Amino acid sequence: MFNPLRPGGEPSAAGLSVLADEELMQLVYRGQATAFEVIYDRHADAAFSLAYRMCGQRALAEDVVQEGFLSLWRSGARYDRGRGSVRTWVLGIVHNRAIDALRRRTVRDRGRISDEGIEERIAAPERTDVEFARRDEAREVRDALEQLPDEQSRVIELAYFGGLTHVEIASALGAPVGTVKGRMRLGLAKMRMALGDPTEVVQ
Amino acid sequence: MSADEPPMEDQHNEREGCGGNAAPYVLGALTDAEHQAFVVHLESCSVCREEVAALQVVAAALPAAAPQVSAPADLKRRVMAEVREDARRQASQSAASRAELSGARARPWGSRLAAPAWLSWRPNLAVAALAAAVVVLAVVALSSGGDGAGTGVRVIRAQVLPSHARATLNVSDGQAQLSIARMPQTAPGHVYELWLKRSAAGPAIPTDALFTVDAAGAASVGVPGGVRHVSEVMVTSEPLGGSRVPTLPALIVARVA
Repeated sequence: MFNPLRPGGEPSAAGLSVLADEELMQLVYRGQATAFEVIYDRHADAAFSLAYRMCGQRALAEDVVQEGFLSLWRSGARYDRGRGSVRTWVLGIVHNRAIDALRRRTVRDRGRISDEGIEERIAAPERTDVEFARRDEAREVRDALEQLPDEQSRVIELAYFGGLTHVEIASALGAPVGTVKGRMRLGLAKMRMALGDPTEVVQ
Repeated sequence: MSADEPPMEDQHNEREGCGGNAAPYVLGALTDAEHQAFVVHLESCSVCREEVAALQVVAAALPAAAPQVSAPADLKRRVMAEVREDARRQASQSAASRAELSGARARPWGSRLAAPAWLSWRPNLAVAALAAAVVVLAVVALSSGGDGAGTGVRVIRAQVLPSHARATLNVSDGQAQLSIARMPQTAPGHVYELWLKRSAAGPAIPTDALFTVDAAGAASVGVPGGVRHVSEVMVTSEPLGGSRVPTLPALIVARVA
């Protein structure tokens, strides 16, 4: 029968969900909000998890994710598929935004992790192969990080999740700058091996 | 280094510490000044570029090490409210410029992104396309549809190229909805695009209605702006992102007037 008229004539989110991220970005570039919504739904949890881990505060993490996704919407043309997946690109934007937010905060505020009752998502039923694969990947990455010597995992966590510069880390640990950089490099190289990319890092 | 190699490559200098910056760079741990200098350095140092590429793979995996939590639902509402507002503004702008330019298509985000030259509107091609479209119409001419009885809703049977496919245009009060059934799935990297013609001899005006069909080949698409001054509604298959000039043949043609 006759369907209710839908002004605008946009495809539905359900119709678009069959498209790959890279294809959706072409529609986002043309200003199609529904395509953007599908991208948001696919990556918002990962983005928020990263921001929350970095900021430690729900309100700040929300601001960071909102800024990140809006900048992505408004500059969708800058996505270059030659430089990795849409997910990596989204998380890279959110990571940069969170670092900016953390570096704006005073030194005293930093590292104050205030959990405001956000619980880690407990094994929601894994509906898709993609989610299943992601959970596997998360476990592998956590294992790889935990298996590093403390001195290496610590500098990586302080840098990547804490948003500290290598100079700040060196001063916090009372270690020379060169030593800190060396631990970062060694730690990342070992993780790379552990994550199944056996190509040797340039020595 | 042989004389044949590019002179400015391989500025790698371990003693100046450039080798040590790849790891803090991929972790976002260089100071702003160091970061900018390193980005410049990367242009001329293939050793550092390779190291960055290798370590970036690991940095890209690090978000998975964060405890996974759900994004709050009200965050999505806030983000999408802004996005939809942007899109509405954009749609009204492009509708206005479509009317002004009679067929030229506005780019999303207006002048912020200059359209590549090869995308610019080419009237000669449009005319050629239309000439061909008329031929297609003659070839696929089926039946021309009739009016719904006294309901204020006109149901127009569209001419459809793919065998087995069906399409009807439901017109009510100047608004129109194209209902499609049993259309083939779009080819990889393609979408269906809806076009309007103001007169049989006029250009095919692209719309922002890009769509795919569901597993059964069905779709229901609103005609942007309605059909008050439209003589034909057309559907073609186009590369993702749509086109400004229809790729023939037209797969669906509905004659409004």
